[in-house]
Amino acid sequence: MSATTSSLEPLFTILSYSYATLETNFYKLPGSSVVARYVKSSHQNDPGRTLLEVFLIIFAIRTLLQSRTRADNSGKHFISFDEKEIDELVDEWTPEPLAAELSPKEQAELASIPVIVGPTGPKPKLSNGKTVLNLASYNFTGLAGNEDIKQSGVETLRKYGLGSCGPPGFYGNQDVHIQLEKDIADFLGTESAILYSQAFSTISSVIPAFCKRGDLIVADRGVNFSIQKGLQISRCTVRWYDHNDLNSLEQVLEAIEKERQKKRSPLTRRFIVTEGIFDHDGAMSDLPKLIELKLKFKYRLILDESISFGSVGRTGRGLTELYNVPADQVDMLVGSVANGLASAGGFCAGTNIVVNHQRINGTSFVFSAAMPALLTVAASEGISILRNTPSILSTLQENIRAVRVILDRVDCISIPSHPASATIHLHVKLPSPMHLSPRVPPPSPSLSSSSSGKPSNPLSPTPREAPQFDAELEEKLLQDVVEEALAQGVLITRAKRLRGQELNDIRPSIRLAISAALNKKDCEKAANVVKAAFVKIVGRQRR
Amino acid sequence: MAINPASPTPSMFRKKPSSAMSTAASYLSAVSKADARARGLNGGSTTSTPALSLSSSVTSSSEDTVLHEDIGDSADGLYYPSVPPTSEQVFTTVHTEFGHCANESYRYTSRHTPGEPVKGVVEQDPPYYILITTYVSYLLVICIGHLRDFIGKRFKPSAFRHLMTQDGYAALNSDFDSFYTRRLKSRIDDCFSHPVTGVPGRTILLLDRYSTDHNVTFQPTGTRTRGLNISSYNYLGFAQGDGPCADAVEESVARYGVSACSTRREVGTLDLHLQAEALVARFMGMESALISSMGFATNSTIIPALVSKGCLVISDEFNHASIRYGALESLLREVISQGQPKTHRPWKKILIIVEGLYSMEGTLVNLPALLELKKKYKFYLFVDEAHSVGAMGPHGRGVADYFDVNPRSIDILMGTFTKSFGAAGGYIAGNKALIERLRISSHYSAYTEAMAPPVLTQVMASMASIMGVTIIPETKNSSSLSLLHSSNAIPVPVTNLEATAYPGTAPSTALPNWVSLPPSLCDGSDGRMRLRRLAFNSRYLNRALRKLGFITYGHDDSPVVPLLVFHPGKMAVFSRMMRTRAIPIVIVVVAYPATPLVTSRVRFCLSASHTKEDIDLVLKACDEIGELLDLKQAVGERWPLEEITKRAVELVSMKECP
Repeated sequence: MSATTSSLEPLFTILSYSYATLETNFYKLPGSSVVARYVKSSHQNDPGRTLLEVFLIIFAIRTLLQSRTRADNSGKHFISFDEKEIDELVDEWTPEPLAAELSPKEQAELASIPVIVGPTGPKPKLSNGKTVLNLASYNFTGLAGNEDIKQSGVETLRKYGLGSCGPPGFYGNQDVHIQLEKDIADFLGTESAILYSQAFSTISSVIPAFCKRGDLIVADRGVNFSIQKGLQISRCTVRWYDHNDLNSLEQVLEAIEKERQKKRSPLTRRFIVTEGIFDHDGAMSDLPKLIELKLKFKYRLILDESISFGSVGRTGRGLTELYNVPADQVDMLVGSVANGLASAGGFCAGTNIVVNHQRINGTSFVFSAAMPALLTVAASEGISILRNTPSILSTLQENIRAVRVILDRVDCISIPSHPASATIHLHVKLPSPMHLSPRVPPPSPSLSSSSSGKPSNPLSPTPREAPQFDAELEEKLLQDVVEEALAQGVLITRAKRLRGQELNDIRPSIRLAISAALNKKDCEKAANVVKAAFVKIVGRQRR
Repeated sequence: MAINPASPTPSMFRKKPSSAMSTAASYLSAVSKADARARGLNGGSTTSTPALSLSSSVTSSSEDTVLHEDIGDSADGLYYPSVPPTSEQVFTTVHTEFGHCANESYRYTSRHTPGEPVKGVVEQDPPYYILITTYVSYLLVICIGHLRDFIGKRFKPSAFRHLMTQDGYAALNSDFDSFYTRRLKSRIDDCFSHPVTGVPGRTILLLDRYSTDHNVTFQPTGTRTRGLNISSYNYLGFAQGDGPCADAVEESVARYGVSACSTRREVGTLDLHLQAEALVARFMGMESALISSMGFATNSTIIPALVSKGCLVISDEFNHASIRYGALESLLREVISQGQPKTHRPWKKILIIVEGLYSMEGTLVNLPALLELKKKYKFYLFVDEAHSVGAMGPHGRGVADYFDVNPRSIDILMGTFTKSFGAAGGYIAGNKALIERLRISSHYSAYTEAMAPPVLTQVMASMASIMGVTIIPETKNSSSLSLLHSSNAIPVPVTNLEATAYPGTAPSTALPNWVSLPPSLCDGSDGRMRLRRLAFNSRYLNRALRKLGFITYGHDDSPVVPLLVFHPGKMAVFSRMMRTRAIPIVIVVVAYPATPLVTSRVRFCLSASHTKEDIDLVLKACDEIGELLDLKQAVGERWPLEEITKRAVELVSMKECP
């Protein structure tokens, strides 16, 4: 024992000597006493504390040194290659073609798109030289081709040129835009309105302008694609209720409220998002009930009236006029100038606060060039025509009734659309034994949830009992119907959707868009052609 | 298409008779005086006959070339050219929309010199005191803003109610989220969203307004101010209420109305759409093209159709920088060798998205370098030419034309019609398979409204006048019908090889037969004049500002010229001083968040419609204001203003501008 101690003696002396020199040198450094004092005070005879501090320092240095941009570079998934290997990998790599070739079905679909030669309207001429009755264009009030609108359009062209040449923030904000915004607000009875230059981009920009991460949206399961995109961009929490079923909405709202009280989570912005008349099937929302619910649960209502504005109500003001609800009860009323006024663009009407917020936060308002002045004035002119001639809307309703009378009682057609809706969706109704998937949902949406006991999961956009249908087969049948009707001189179209990109599979339909520009006799004639086409094609399928 | 040498075709709408103005009369007398002077100088006899016949046409056209409205002070050069035209110079445009400039030396061709390396941006840093005071000024307004919020919430809660939770509703916009807008931007809101009227051409009419509540609301005064417009995206000057393009649009409104009333895949496809798309494809030198009704939404509605899970999209706001430093190459090597995260499966495809001309920086993409990389790394290239199409290249076909590369070596060319064509909307051009795929699976074709017929006509007319038109005799079946069934193979009887080559002319059969264009448009001289004037103006302003000592960003040939002012406060003052000059100048100012915090800037958007005198005016204004605001911080050789304006042509044609 002593032998080992004595043999280690020189080593200890060297160690103590070097320690002493280190200490003196350390104290020579300026500011070193401060460090020493800090270490001493933090040590406090507790080695654990020092250890912790050392770890903290190492951790801090490591974090600082770590590259912030490419964290996975040093991660365990990174495989290091040398330059030659990388070159080989680069040479080997063959990308997929940029765009997949069209399948024969898609090619047929592309070839089947009708081309109108000359102006569109109630009786357009097609590229095959035939003049047809048009039950497909969004020309509800017959404003397309109106001579007064053309006249004012040309006057505007001479005064303003065509393009606005800039976004509204940078001198693209022309007096005609201000005028149309005012016209829309006056027409609807809201404080203010804001004009977007494309209808599709309107609501998909309005939703993210208000709803941010952490906010809550309760949305209908059947909302259109533009709303779906808006919800996606906003990245907020979305809860779903059954399509056009306000009882389901109430249940969802109650459940959310209960959950919130239980968790005591802070109050966030809450919205109900739905459509006036649904783009997917023409069903109509019960606006008074919606307003009642939204007020009861203190939600804000974002209502997309892209189809209903300019097609229902005494003068075409949309759902608010039809149900006699003041438009200021709807917090954000979104509509389409393109559909409703046969021009271009969309709008969002609401209070000054709502509108001014969008002037800075509505991405497609801020970054897009303002709408061409000519189209803006055409829309203003359209509003004044609608205001002054209520007979247009009554003609439209008569035409809708005339078509519905004929099509409602055809046993191979089911119509989910509201009787007053100017868009009429026609589904194929196949008799059960023949149909691959027999359960066809009841056409009336209010019944759909009551059939099953359990409500759908509000977290999922798909309903518990998703309607069953054979989309391929129905699409094919409907396309045959479209072509058959076209051969008989009636232009109709399938409602085109991107299957697979929509949230839910939507049942294929033919979408008729009724116009006030046709007279009743033409409407009846066209409806009879559609009926005959359905009977012929679906009948052939049955045999 | 018909060729119409005379004035516009008679249409169903009659133009309002223009009342003769006293000022118009004074303009005409100035013209005739100048005429006399020119003839006196020429000795009269030799050119007298043509001059006489021409002078009558000057007189007849001048009635159309001045504005039909009340004009206040006519001496400022906005309404009438400061130098009256001579009898040889016939202008068919309205001077307020498209400036009269007959001096052929004020022209330049926008083209990249082959072999010369593409210069990166020389970004000059300002002196440190500028940077520090900029940060301090931000800090100051932020502190004051918070102070005002603090005091305001206690003493005037009603003004903050909409920012607070009330009646069980969370605030639509919390006071924190809106702080920047309320406390910083609102201080200078008078520089934004100014209402205007009339044609946004060479000049623009501002609707004057004032605010009594610190820019919360604005009240119109009812008066108007005409200013020189250096703000609108009107690169080739097609924003015109008069002229052959507007005539064509008028005719299309009469024939087609204003809307197509449906989506493209349903029943919104008109013959005009197919014709316009074929023309766009030809213009871009691509196989096929499609048109969407909103430029901003074009990208977002088509990219989902091209990429799916397992595809990599590389897009970088500092593309120009990363390409310069080779960062892109190392990134590509890494992603290709590593494959997808975790699974290490190879990427299905890699799509690189670049902008042709960066709208905030004025920098150009280094296309040749990118194409070099593309050959090796096999990625797909998407060039967003929102600002460069029409504005760059000797034929106005965008960056590919500028660098003289084959456009088909780029996979996707996207652009807008808002900027150079005076229209709206956007396009995608590419090979046939790509475009057909987009027609079937992109959002745009299934859900968005089809482009309106008048807009399509403006696109076609302006595009044809840039390209020039080759007259091809009409075949048996009408041309408009022959296009319909085969957008892929247009049965155009090729009599002239030039008509098919890129960058070639448009065959007359590619236009609707009711469009009638005057000879100056058909031979392409009008389009060439516009391109060359824009190139001169861009280069002149860019280089002149640098010679004056300002810090500017961007490429010499870029029609977007950003002038750095750094301080947010100076930015607003700059804008106001320009607008309230004796001859008002309308400009755009941009700051955070569109730019980095410290580099607030003024953005000039030049146009072919500006004359050299207009640029001189801008330079004079910048010189005076820049002196006052201490903006001349660049290092390098400086010229005095007089020398710059005198030696403009020399300055523009210099190879290098230090």
